Amino acid sequence: MTALVDTLPPVPLTKRWANVVRIHVANPWPTLVTPWLIFTAIFGLTYAIWRIVLMAAGPGGVDADAFQYNGGATWILFYMVVVAVQSMNQTFRFAMGFSSTRRDYYLGTAALFVGLSAFYAVGITVLAGVEDLTGGWGVGGEFFAPAFLADLPLAHVAYVYFATLLFMFFLGAAVGSVYVRWGATGMLVFWGAVAVLLVGTIWLVTSVEAWGSVGSFFTENSVPTIMTWSLTVSAVSALVGYALMRRATPRP
Amino acid sequence: MTIPVVEAHGLTKRFGAVEAVTDATFAVAEHGICGLLGRNGSGKTTLMHLLTGQEFASAGDAMLFGQSPVENAAVLGRTCFIKETQIYPESFRVKHVLRAASWVYPHWDAALADELVAEFDVPLGRRMKRLSRGQRSAVGVVVGIASRAELTIFDEPYAGLDAVARHVFYDRLLQDYGVHPRTILMSTHLIDEVADLLDHVLVIDDGRLVIDADADELRGSATTLAGRHSAVQAFAEGREVLTWDSLGGLATVTLTGLSDAEKSAAHAEGLDVVPVSLQQLIVGRTRGTAREELAS
Repeated sequence: MTALVDTLPPVPLTKRWANVVRIHVANPWPTLVTPWLIFTAIFGLTYAIWRIVLMAAGPGGVDADAFQYNGGATWILFYMVVVAVQSMNQTFRFAMGFSSTRRDYYLGTAALFVGLSAFYAVGITVLAGVEDLTGGWGVGGEFFAPAFLADLPLAHVAYVYFATLLFMFFLGAAVGSVYVRWGATGMLVFWGAVAVLLVGTIWLVTSVEAWGSVGSFFTENSVPTIMTWSLTVSAVSALVGYALMRRATPRP
Repeated sequence: MTIPVVEAHGLTKRFGAVEAVTDATFAVAEHGICGLLGRNGSGKTTLMHLLTGQEFASAGDAMLFGQSPVENAAVLGRTCFIKETQIYPESFRVKHVLRAASWVYPHWDAALADELVAEFDVPLGRRMKRLSRGQRSAVGVVVGIASRAELTIFDEPYAGLDAVARHVFYDRLLQDYGVHPRTILMSTHLIDEVADLLDHVLVIDDGRLVIDADADELRGSATTLAGRHSAVQAFAEGREVLTWDSLGGLATVTLTGLSDAEKSAAHAEGLDVVPVSLQQLIVGRTRGTAREELAS
């Protein structure tokens, strides 16, 4: 007596994970294409504003660091949080209906998040390199590596983007998995708990007069070191998301 | 001896205080079309979610190919589950669904899928959320047939499909089944339409499995007698009555398990003897809960 499944070779693990990744990019627009179009649009508008300011400033010009501070590239972080939440919600339920296991789905999706973080970190860093070579697009502007990033070597810029994107993806996955498990009630309790923890932490730090040490953590450590600390939080978020999704049910 | 493709042992699912499936025990053999019939809300969908490992059982076991389906890639990879409530990612168009299906199902037949898409007239480039209910169902039906999975489970696959499209579905399913035999479990409440397709019938009522029988046996298992009230009453005396209707001096009764000799005897007493359709039979056997609902 043999089980029917034994007579047929199982689909290999790598193929199952690859399938999950392919499902995410079956329509490549939202994850691979649209972000670059948004970058093009925001950069185009920012560049136009720089030219307008230069025109208005006249022959005296502007301060050397006038175009070094802008948050034009930060939207990608919030965009990827939304991508991650949607992955745990809609795409999870789709994949479960298409014969995936929760484990294969989560691990394939995590691989996709790591891949997307690397893809965007490298892409943005290449543009930051062009920014350096062209003297800030000819106008001293810093869009892809603004503020403190402008002074870092390109490898560090890439690392900062990579770690920050990972942080956003896995934070989104953890929050999304709370929603999938416990719905709107879960969200209320979760955000309530976050608020309590936040206020509690501020209370604690203030009562032991430790704000100085908190501040010095950020000033005395290099940016890559701080980013490495964020990887710990990302890893914890990833594990929380995995633990929650293993028992999730894809209800309509 | 081969292991049944689908098995349940004491399978139970509770949502809080509500018991959606109660102590279901049955088996579905390899190669055949099995109908899972029952009223809306009787637990059909929950049972199918338990069988495919999408819901976790409160008690008992579900087995596919002799193994638990929960988080079991080997058995889920041989199973295609088509349901009306399938969720699609926001950005998905019909072509993306078919592309995903071609990766996921090892026996996917792209040529067959193209043929079915043309036959159901599904717009490949349209977003899933913009499809009509019937078109969404058609996409599910295309995936269900073209996946050629060893086990295909359809949960009310025809919602929104008109009568013509439903018959295209039945015809194409039977046609492909003839060439590529597999195990099909289909829930439906359009019993008369699918009656001729079914080899085996499971009927679930209020979460409990009430009928688990071969379709042919079931078809012969009940008979309707019609005639004068007194004659009908005399004949029905002491037998198991499924339904009883009377109008004026005439009466109609549906009885279980009449032998050929008994049917001849009824005929001899001037009663009309009519075989009962699967639908009438199941309505008769599940009407108890309807009466209780009305009374409460």
